[in-house]
Amino acid sequence: MTDVLLETRDLALAYGAFRAVDGVSLRIARGSIHTVIGPNGAGKTSLFHCLTGERRPTAGRILLDGREITREPPHGRVGLGMSRSFQVTSLFQELSVHENLRLAAQGIDGWRALNFWQRLNKRREHLARADEILERIGLAERAGVAAGELSHGQQRILEVGMAICPRPKLLLLDEPTSGMGIDDIPSMTSLIGELGEDHSILLIEHNMSIVMSISDTITVMNRGQVLVEGDPETVRSDARVRDAYLGEAA
Amino acid sequence: MTTKTLDTVAASPGRRRFKGRLGAGTTLAMLAVMVLLPLVLPSATLATEILIFAMAALACNLLLGFTGLLSFGQAIFFGAGAYISALAMIHLNAGLIGALLIAVVSGCVLALGVGMLCIRRKGIYFVMLTLALTQMAYFLAYTLSDWTGGDNGLLDVPRPPLAVGETTLISFASPLAFYALVASLFALIYVVARRITDSPFGSTLLAIRENEQRASALGYDTRLFKIMVFVLSGGITALAGALYGMLLNFVPLSNIELLMSEQILIMTIIGGTGSLFGSLLGAGAIVLLGDLLSSIWPRWMLLLGVALIAVVIFMRGGLWGGLSSLLERRRGSHTKPHKEAGHD
Repeated sequence: MTDVLLETRDLALAYGAFRAVDGVSLRIARGSIHTVIGPNGAGKTSLFHCLTGERRPTAGRILLDGREITREPPHGRVGLGMSRSFQVTSLFQELSVHENLRLAAQGIDGWRALNFWQRLNKRREHLARADEILERIGLAERAGVAAGELSHGQQRILEVGMAICPRPKLLLLDEPTSGMGIDDIPSMTSLIGELGEDHSILLIEHNMSIVMSISDTITVMNRGQVLVEGDPETVRSDARVRDAYLGEAA
Repeated sequence: MTTKTLDTVAASPGRRRFKGRLGAGTTLAMLAVMVLLPLVLPSATLATEILIFAMAALACNLLLGFTGLLSFGQAIFFGAGAYISALAMIHLNAGLIGALLIAVVSGCVLALGVGMLCIRRKGIYFVMLTLALTQMAYFLAYTLSDWTGGDNGLLDVPRPPLAVGETTLISFASPLAFYALVASLFALIYVVARRITDSPFGSTLLAIRENEQRASALGYDTRLFKIMVFVLSGGITALAGALYGMLLNFVPLSNIELLMSEQILIMTIIGGTGSLFGSLLGAGAIVLLGDLLSSIWPRWMLLLGVALIAVVIFMRGGLWGGLSSLLERRRGSHTKPHKEAGHD
């Protein structure tokens, strides 16, 4: 039996009569890159919202490392080892790149972040973590620049960089390449691939070439339910998957 | 690890050094202004009024400039601080420190209640809640005229000396002595507020101002931070209110009016949101302008409107923003100015 990091059991999210997520049971293995794909309206984003805590599921449970987190608020999930990125870039635009990362590292402090008397440079671990991530995502040159002044591609990279600052057990990435130019996509692909070496990742992504090249497991969703699950090869050759996507195209 | 940290600091040495100098510079400038104010101005009373409103504007700035919360509720705390400290002195014979402490504590407690209620909503609904609560506080003060004097205001507010038992240590009867008291308290609050804005707590407030959803996703319980900054702001505002009562020997009903909230907000915005020194500039500008113009032209508030429009349209950083970009240009700094942490 594989070591399961995140598990959902019959997860459902309904908006009135419409069931956006309809009984989804996922098992994400520790150390894997697990991707959720599906045509528009398949319920990927609704599922993601349940996992991040933005929406409370109408039924079902979410377990992280065997611990029930179904009703945990978004900020509470960080301390438990879950961290996320946003589909629409969500940075602290007026603050420097370094400060964005430092704040991301400091978030793990929970109550201790309420300390109003300590000087910032006393928390060396957060400064060091920000420096480390700056190197890792290749933005060290731009440390002092306001995040809003970065190019779109760099902002997307910073977006992911902020998500890894708290050293999460599970990294939730919501369409990391969304809106990226064709030239920037390879750098994001290699970054996610590298992160996969020391993180467990749940990825929602539209770009098929990325999905097929870096995923260990792929879950295909359609109409709020799991259609197919398996490794890239299985999914690629599955007739139902083609139908679902062709149905969208038609 | 340390060398790496040094490298990143070295990546933008100019700005950081400039920011550091500017930081130490503003504290010194602040002290200089406080010493000069009573000498330059026609009366120490006017100087005292400036510092009292600077205190209130600074507290408002913690909400507006650092956390992005536009609150019309500041008059509640200003008025409550004035009334409660005055009542404590009149009815309970409270001394100077006792009266000021009671004001601060009640300001904090009220702000806790107001904050917990208002931050349940965001944006325009938050603003409406603070407006509604200020109106309620006003009518409460108006209705409880046995205690507050209603329309006539609360009269005969004492200005007690600093005393131990029956022995008076320092009397604040003279305007200059009272100015010294207010100036020391303002300096203390300024230094403490600077320290707070440079702390993990303060940096998180900026994060909430910039992007609350992201702050929450990073693990910060943003509601808790917003309530805490409300409490801090309420306590300081109530202290300013208490001192204002002692200055005038009187608590007018207008202390708890919506207009007072507006005035404090206007001072904060004209001075520059996100800059503590700016609050002093803003309060100074408005109080002085009022003092000068009100004797010449009773409708001087019109000009205040014009000034506010000018600042909002042409000088987004307020007086402080204008001043600091002027300083930066004179230094011949080539780096494009931008708010690194959003404050001085």
